[in-house]
Amino acid sequence: MNSKLIKELPELVENDIISQDIASKIERYYQSKTNNTPNRLFTVFGVLGSILVGLGIMLILAHNWDDFSKSIKTIFAFAPLVIGQLLVGFSILNKKSKTWKEASGVFLFFTVGASIAMVSQIYNIPGDFTNYMLVWILLCAPLIYLLKSHALAILHLVYATIYACNYGYADGTKAPWLFLVLILLLIPYYVSLLQSKPKANITSVFNWLLPISLIITLGAFITKFDELIFLSYIILFGLFYNLGKLPVFNNLKLRQNGYLVLGSFGTVVLLLISSFRIVWEEVLTISSFSGNETTLVTVLFVISLGVLVYLFLKKEVNKLNMFHYIFIIMTILFFVGLKNDVSPTIITNILLLILGINAIKIGADKMHFGVLNYGLVIITGLIFCRFFDTDMSFVIRGLLFVFVGIGFFATNYIMFRKQKNKNTSIKSLDAIEIKEEDIKTLK
Amino acid sequence: MKNMKLQYVFVLFILVVIAQLLVPAQMIFGQETVLNKGTAYKFKTQPVDPSDPYRGKYVTLSYDIRSFITSDTIWERKQDIYVYFENDSLGFAKLTEVSKIPLVTAKDFVKTKVDWFNKYDKSVKFNLPFDRFYMEESKAKPAEDAFRIAQRDNLPNNTYALVYVKEGEAVLKDLFINEVSIKDYVTINKNEE
Repeated sequence: MNSKLIKELPELVENDIISQDIASKIERYYQSKTNNTPNRLFTVFGVLGSILVGLGIMLILAHNWDDFSKSIKTIFAFAPLVIGQLLVGFSILNKKSKTWKEASGVFLFFTVGASIAMVSQIYNIPGDFTNYMLVWILLCAPLIYLLKSHALAILHLVYATIYACNYGYADGTKAPWLFLVLILLLIPYYVSLLQSKPKANITSVFNWLLPISLIITLGAFITKFDELIFLSYIILFGLFYNLGKLPVFNNLKLRQNGYLVLGSFGTVVLLLISSFRIVWEEVLTISSFSGNETTLVTVLFVISLGVLVYLFLKKEVNKLNMFHYIFIIMTILFFVGLKNDVSPTIITNILLLILGINAIKIGADKMHFGVLNYGLVIITGLIFCRFFDTDMSFVIRGLLFVFVGIGFFATNYIMFRKQKNKNTSIKSLDAIEIKEEDIKTLK
Repeated sequence: MKNMKLQYVFVLFILVVIAQLLVPAQMIFGQETVLNKGTAYKFKTQPVDPSDPYRGKYVTLSYDIRSFITSDTIWERKQDIYVYFENDSLGFAKLTEVSKIPLVTAKDFVKTKVDWFNKYDKSVKFNLPFDRFYMEESKAKPAEDAFRIAQRDNLPNNTYALVYVKEGEAVLKDLFINEVSIKDYVTINKNEE
């Protein structure tokens, strides 16, 4: 894009839009800028190369070379690790470039795993897979900070998630509490990224990966009272939505704000599921719950409420936007649902309708086609779900579909016209201004 | 000032390096101690062949010692269980008793987890913890086959695992078919074919 601008410069000078002096200043500015930015592509390939070599070494060691003596195998276990450590030490001491640090760090990450795995092989240590992962992740966690490595931070998050899944879901009786410690270890890094470069691509990657990781792992914490899974996820999505509305995230583009998108989408999907009466019939069967799960849900709720209150104090809440409060309403409905299954079902359906209209209104106000159609999709989803469990005649169902279809066309068309009008009015305004300038210069 | 920071980072890095080296080294030390100072036992066993994405191919061993009839009927899944054993007259490990807590006895033991409790025959089921034997990837499957064939002949006690035990720690040293180490057995069989 910059090169395109530089190419345009001669033409601009020729037509007296800017002076030669300014043109060369612009050129110099962009050239100095490109010199300052490190070669990102090079870093990416460096990291990819390290991942491949690291995984390759793990696979080669996994061959289990039983022709070699135990001591030679032990040397094999340590050699890659020591090489990785030397490379990282070298890049720290010689203040090597970002590429060096990222690539050597990633290589060391995999060699740590390889060496522990190799020793396990030599001595036939049955070793719990999750323990192995935990030790591996913890041994590499300090490197994230020492090397300031994005790639290692991502690996940490991905492997911590795999750990939590293996620990929690595979067994089903234990909650992976140590996963929270692993996440806490990453938080300072994430916060410093948010402060130093909130709009960078790498920060957006974490804005998505962190909530995704939590969504994947939350279920693993609920081991005894499965009914609470539903409530805990509703609150988690509420938390994400409200987090996404914090000033630090809300100023980002939608595709950079994973919290907002996942929170909103997750809430809608869960509400669609719970618009079926069968969900509430299940809630009705709950006799009691207690223990760690209840604490977890309570803590989640308090945090979400805290974020919402903060938003209120900062006047960041659009009071008519239902998405902010859904988690509170659903929590209340959950407790109502312990006694009665009809009213929560009806209220959930009404909530979905309100959310749909809400999104359509936000979309129309902001002239955002995506949000507008999101609202329409919510309503369509709601109608679709009701087709399964109501005894409406086919004619009425058919008519409903036709109406919603026309709704899609109509709203999009109206908005399209509105936008076009706005654009043409802006353009004509520009034209008028230019004409005025011409007149002035003529005078 | 900048140099100070570099030194600081480097010192921390050295600590990480030491930790990264210590973990595998400590594992090796622990295993070697058991191999050198522990008592050797032979456990009768049968293998099956799965694999692990990081550590390669291994055969999972299913030991003859895997349940115990007990008067205690309160056993929960995944509960710790101490398994005590001694050598029988033929030189194979024989289960003597199980317990929920460590017992004061001179007998060797290993700690493992309860699999499940069978209410009908009042037996508690468990897997001995040394149930993985890593093999070169091309040999794991033939090893399993060789075991199955060796089981079919009429010689008794012909497949067993050699395990060293010391103070509750167990290290699986090797796997034998008819007194031949499994690695050699597979190679010999291959050559004969």
